[in-house]
Amino acid sequence: MIKVCNLSKKIGDVQALNNLSFEANDGQITGLLGPNGAGKTTCLRTVFGLLQADEGHAEIDGVDVAKSPIQAKQQLGLFPDPFGLYERLTPREYISYFAELNGLSRTQAKDATQKVLTELHMDDIADRRCKGFSQGQRMKTALAQAIVHQPTNIILDEPTRGLDVMSTRVLRDLLKALKKQGHCVLFSSHVMQEVAALCDQVIVMAEGKVVAVGSPDELCQQTGKDSLEDAFIQLIGTDEGIAA
Amino acid sequence: MISNIITMVRKELIDAARDKRSVMAGLYYAIGTPLLMCGMFMLLIGQMTSPEDLNIKIENGSNAPDLVKYLSSQGITHGDSQSTNENGDKLDVKDIRLVISDDYAAQMAKGLSAEITLIADNSNEKLQNSIRRLERNLQTYSSEMGSLRLIARGIDPRVVQPIKVNVEDEATPDSKGGVILGVATMTMIYAVFISGMNLAIDTSAGERERNSLALLLSHPVSTRNIVLAKVIAVTVFAMVGLLLTLIISKISYAFVPWQELGFTVSISTEFILLMLLTGLPIALMAASLQLFVSFMAKTFKEAQSYLTLVLIVPMMLSMAASYNIAPDILQWLPVSGQQQALIAFIKGREIPMLQLLLSSLTTFIIAIGLAFGMERSLKSEKIVFGL
Repeated sequence: MIKVCNLSKKIGDVQALNNLSFEANDGQITGLLGPNGAGKTTCLRTVFGLLQADEGHAEIDGVDVAKSPIQAKQQLGLFPDPFGLYERLTPREYISYFAELNGLSRTQAKDATQKVLTELHMDDIADRRCKGFSQGQRMKTALAQAIVHQPTNIILDEPTRGLDVMSTRVLRDLLKALKKQGHCVLFSSHVMQEVAALCDQVIVMAEGKVVAVGSPDELCQQTGKDSLEDAFIQLIGTDEGIAA
Repeated sequence: MISNIITMVRKELIDAARDKRSVMAGLYYAIGTPLLMCGMFMLLIGQMTSPEDLNIKIENGSNAPDLVKYLSSQGITHGDSQSTNENGDKLDVKDIRLVISDDYAAQMAKGLSAEITLIADNSNEKLQNSIRRLERNLQTYSSEMGSLRLIARGIDPRVVQPIKVNVEDEATPDSKGGVILGVATMTMIYAVFISGMNLAIDTSAGERERNSLALLLSHPVSTRNIVLAKVIAVTVFAMVGLLLTLIISKISYAFVPWQELGFTVSISTEFILLMLLTGLPIALMAASLQLFVSFMAKTFKEAQSYLTLVLIVPMMLSMAASYNIAPDILQWLPVSGQQQALIAFIKGREIPMLQLLLSSLTTFIIAIGLAFGMERSLKSEKIVFGL
C-alpha cells in the first residue's frame, strides 16, 4: 500500500506539489492522471525518496520513506522515466544486479531473473548487451528490473510512452497479472485510453493538487460526461497537455 | 550490508571493463609513458656522455695557430656554413664568433696579454653550454701558457696557485640517478590518477547523464555503500594501471644504457612492492577526488575539463618533490611525501618512515573527507538530478 499525506514541494519558484494526499491499495491498479507539468513525476520521486518533501510524508506499507528509506524501499519496485539502462550490460546481468541490490542472494537473483525473463518473453535478447535495443526491448528490461524481486508495491512512471501496440499489450497484461496477485500498482500517465482500460482508481492531478478521485465510471458520472477524456477536461478546466 | 557493496563493485568493474574508453585511457598511459620515459632517458644519456664537436667561427685563426690547435684537440673547430664533415653532411655551426686580435702573435711573443674576443648571444639558452665549454677551454689554455711563462722565468708555477682544491664526490652511483628517477617515480605515481579517471567520470557524471543514477538511488541501498562501491571500483582500476606501469617500466628500463652514466637503474621487486603499498592510499584519494569533482559537474564533458584542472595539483606536488625545490612542508603532504620516500629508497638511503606514515595518513584522511562529502552530495536533489 502506498500512502501520500499532505505532500508539498517547491522546486525553484514552482509549487510542484501542493498539499497532495492519496492512497493506492493492494490488489488495485491506481492511475495518476494529469496534464504535463501537473507534478506526477515529482510526486513519484518523492515516494521513492529521491526528493524530500517540504511538508507532509509518504508511506510504503506503513513505513515513512523519509525516516527509514532502506526499509521502505525494500517493498518497492520502480519503473522509471527515463529507463536508466546500463548499455554495456545484458538484460540478464542488469536484472539480476538490481535483484541482488534488493537483498536477494546471488543464486536467488539468478533464478528470479530467469523466471522474469521467461515471463516477459525476453529469452532471445537476454544475453545481448542493451546498447542498440529498441524502445520495446528497453521497456521490457526496465519492467523486468522493477518486478524481479516481487515487491508488494510497483510504481511506473509514464510506462506506455513510445511503445507500439504489441509492447503496450505485454505491459497491460503484466499489470493485470500483478493486480491479480495482490500487488499494489501505481502508475502515472497522461494517456486516457490506458487509464480507462486498466485502472480501478484514478487520481486526477493538476498543479500539484488532487482534483478528483474515483473509478473511471465514477469520474464520468461525477462530471456528467460520457468519456473519461471529457470528464478529465471538465475536471482540470483546460485541455492543455493532454494526449488522447 | 557488505554484500551489496560487493555486488556493486562487481557490476562497476564488469561495466568498466566493457567500456573501451575507460580501458584504453588506462592502457595508453601504462604502456606509453614508460616507453616515452625510456626514449627520453636514452636521448639524455646520449647528450650527457658524448659531447659533440663544437663548430664555431674563428676569425684571424692564422694569428694563433697554437691556440687553434689546442681548441681542435678539445673538439672545438672552425667551420663556416658551407663546410661539410667527412661524410659530406653539412656541419652544424654554432652562432659563436671567436675573434683573435691582429697583434695577438706580437703580444704573445712579448709576454703580454694577447686579446681575443668571444662574440655570442648570451641570452640564447641553446648556446649556453657551448659558450661555457669554450670559455672553460680558453681559461685552461690561458693558465697553461701562464705556467709555461713562469717556468721560463725560473719560477715554480705553484706560486700563483696558493690554493689547490681537491673535490671528492661522495655520490654513490645510485644516488646520481636520483633526479632521473625522481621524474620516473613521478610518472608512476601519476599512473594512479590517469588510469581510473575515465571510469570515475563514467560512473558518476556519466551515470547521471544516462539516468541510471536516480534508479540506483531509488533502490534500498544506502548512499554510503554506493559511494564506497564506486571508490573501490575506481581504486581497483587505478591500482591495475599502476601495476601495469611498473611492470612495463621494469622491462623497458633494462634497455636504457645506464652504465654510460656510471650508475644503474633497475626497478627491483622491492621497489614495486613499496610503490604498490604507498600507491594504495594515493589511489583511494585520487578515486574519491575524481568522483567528487565529477559528481559536481553536470555532464561528462564538464567533468573532463574540471578534472584536467584538478589533476594539475598532484602533478605540481610531484614535480616539486622530484626537482627538490620543495619547502619542508611538502614532505608531510600527499603525493610529494610518498614520492620523497620512494626517491630515498631508490637512492639507497633509509626510508623516512615517520614522514611516509604521516603523508599516507593525510592522504587517507583527505580520501575519507571527500567520500563523506560525496555521501552528503548524493542526498542533495541538485546533485542527483543535475539541477
